[in-house]
Amino acid sequence: MELSILLLIFGSSEQFRRVKAIKNTLRGRRTVSNLYWALQYDMLDFVDSLHGTGFGEDEVAVKQLKVHGLADTDDNFQFKLTAKGADQQEKYLSRLLPLKYLALGSRYDVAKFMRRFSFAVQIVSEFSYTNNKYYPQSINYFEDQLLKRWFVQTKHTDLPAQFHQLLNGFLNGLANDELANLFVQSLVGHGFSGLTADQIATQAHSDVTVVNLEWLQTYGVLLERVLKLPNDNPFKMLTVGLEKPIIAQSAKETFEMFVHQENGSLNTIAQKRRVKLTTVYEHLLEAAIMLPVTKFPYKALIQPESKRHLEASHPVNVGSWTFEAAKQEIPDLSFFEFRLFQIYRSKSADEN
Amino acid sequence: MKINLQSALKNEFGFDSFRPGQETILKNLFSHKNTLAILPTGGGKTLLYQMYGALSRQRVMIVSPLISLMQDQVSRLQYLGSKRVVALTSALDYQEKAVILKHLNQYQFIYASPEMLANEQVLRQIKSLNIGLFVIDEAHCISEWGPDFRPDYLNLGKVRHALGNPLTLMMTATATKTVRQDIIDHLDLESTSVEQIVLPVNRPNIFLSAKILSGQQEKDQTLIDLVRQLHGPGIIYFSSKSKAEQAAVTLSSQTDRRVMAYHGGMDTQQRFHIQQQFMDGNLDIVCATSAFGMGIDKDDIRFVIHYHLPANIQSYVQEIGRCGRDQQPGLAILLYEPNDRYLQMNLIDNTIPDRNLLQYLYQHPKALTNEDQFRVIKYYYDHGYSFDQATAVFDHSRERRLSELTAMVRYVYHDGCRRDELLKYFDETLSEDQKNSAFCCDHDIDFWGHWQNFNDKYLKQSEKSVEYRPQSWHEVIDKLFLLKN
Ligand SMILES: [Zn+2]
Repeated sequence: MELSILLLIFGSSEQFRRVKAIKNTLRGRRTVSNLYWALQYDMLDFVDSLHGTGFGEDEVAVKQLKVHGLADTDDNFQFKLTAKGADQQEKYLSRLLPLKYLALGSRYDVAKFMRRFSFAVQIVSEFSYTNNKYYPQSINYFEDQLLKRWFVQTKHTDLPAQFHQLLNGFLNGLANDELANLFVQSLVGHGFSGLTADQIATQAHSDVTVVNLEWLQTYGVLLERVLKLPNDNPFKMLTVGLEKPIIAQSAKETFEMFVHQENGSLNTIAQKRRVKLTTVYEHLLEAAIMLPVTKFPYKALIQPESKRHLEASHPVNVGSWTFEAAKQEIPDLSFFEFRLFQIYRSKSADEN
Repeated sequence: MKINLQSALKNEFGFDSFRPGQETILKNLFSHKNTLAILPTGGGKTLLYQMYGALSRQRVMIVSPLISLMQDQVSRLQYLGSKRVVALTSALDYQEKAVILKHLNQYQFIYASPEMLANEQVLRQIKSLNIGLFVIDEAHCISEWGPDFRPDYLNLGKVRHALGNPLTLMMTATATKTVRQDIIDHLDLESTSVEQIVLPVNRPNIFLSAKILSGQQEKDQTLIDLVRQLHGPGIIYFSSKSKAEQAAVTLSSQTDRRVMAYHGGMDTQQRFHIQQQFMDGNLDIVCATSAFGMGIDKDDIRFVIHYHLPANIQSYVQEIGRCGRDQQPGLAILLYEPNDRYLQMNLIDNTIPDRNLLQYLYQHPKALTNEDQFRVIKYYYDHGYSFDQATAVFDHSRERRLSELTAMVRYVYHDGCRRDELLKYFDETLSEDQKNSAFCCDHDIDFWGHWQNFNDKYLKQSEKSVEYRPQSWHEVIDKLFLLKN
């Protein structure tokens, strides 16, 4: 996907934002630093939503925005949208479905669902014409096995009619024929071979990236619909194993251990988990960033003394307060406490 | 075993007749004779072992050198109705490999790369199965003197013994006598115990032509003129992905044909759509790279144009063999401008290691990983070749490729029957009464002065391209699912 388009969508005209942090948030690089900036940019819902997607070079994307007068940049690969950039952002946002349908990719592997669903359509389409001479799409070994099992278990249920009904309801529900037409081109079946994103973009004078985003979003809408179906519905099996954890597994284990052994020392946890102390800090910070503010024991991790100092000396914009500046005010402040405090304040402000 | 092959072909696979050589080869296999078959591309290699497996109900193991080739074959086998097919390749991740190995006995057709078979664990698992037919595809890779030598192929003789010497079918599209003997020797077979079936290379229904142009600009213009008028479907071959993509864009905008690029650098979903569109007749032309064959079997391709010079006559014959599989007239055009030769020479320089690289690797053998580009060097290093010996091998290989390229260029400039010139490289000759001078090559008739007439007379527009195509989403879902009632 073209990074410059995503930067326009996730940029701000009020705040300089880090190109790398936006890109890494979308592709799910869960370093504490990335997650922290995702929090500051209100992008936590989009962590990993474009997993596995290739993006272009940062420099090229930024240069493109600058050349077209869409953004101002600074020396640190941060950018801020100009009025023209904000206009362009508005255009993209009005064309796309609400971004929450992209955010669904953060909680479910929508891209995988898209491939599964499209393969299932092919199988059932050829089945409805009683044709078994065709080239199956094939995804990978495990996915192919899942589709095979699914088909064997459900083919007695008049799948062609069920597919027709599901798609008819879903596409009508979009209430947007242009988008519905775009969606069906992602499919392949008997005597129908669909279109690639490039072909659609050329026909519609649109961008390939926008087409791919629209596909992900519409499949997001479809996935939500399928997830709501009762468990014995034949389509339900196509959603198996798509759910993504909000916190990475190892961070979750560290966090749970901390919660269970109330106020246990972090050193003990590091020993038990066989990780470095700094890793324990990182895991806890990830949990703090990803969980609602009330679900994280800030009190147990920021000493009352430090908290008092921090409250007394922080600037209005806590998010961009640097550790160096804070150290000037509070010499024995630890980075861990400092970051936790920033997270706490940013989240409290958001949730009020 | 008494089997009526003709009726099995019709009943189980839906074909009316065998392609040349297929029936003889199958008869050989059913009377348990090891067979070396030289079959042209599109000669229906897959059907041979698929049919043997289906009728004998035995397990078939197929060794194939390239992942992309294997994936194509797997889908082709599935297309023809066999579903118990699996491919053991380095493309599998650890978990997939473990699960597949554990359930290997559920599969009837097992594809494997030679590297996989060099793995003890994999070989042990395969040894526990009964292999009824051992197939070696692209068997010429076993020959050190062949153009595509794959050191891992040398191991296959041992593998064959380890599997208890099952019935063996060796297949390749082209192989000289020396290479054929090499194949038999390396597999530790007796020449007398191997039936050799060599099919003619000549495809009388493909018209041969070439045009020499002054430069790239003239070549581009000629390509546009041809694509505007030639009745498709067609394939245009390029030696680079970027040029293939570029040409697809130009041709789409300059002509009213539906053109797309197709190459290994594209993602699988995209490739699948394009392949399917081409099959369904929704695309007229694909701009492909020569390294990347299409897995599909499309019978009604009417022309193959080479925008870039192929590396050698063998590749050229294979690539033009993709047109006219329905036995209807097809057209092969080679466009050439003098710089094309240097493009190919650069490709040779890039594929054969130069003295400096070789020296570096001999001094730092740890860098000799199993990466594809170093595989051959590693083989010579591991087998105790000195630096000088290895240098000599690669020098020889470079010279051979250059002389193959020279032969290819000679074909372009050839002032005589092109068919004779092509067949010369396969020791094949045609008598005068086997030739049809009205439909042979651009030496025998003034093709370039009248190619539009040739086009109208011989190249038939495919019926598929005029079929009804659904437009709105309502029509699409109605078309996709045929509803009873
Ligand atoms: Zn001739």
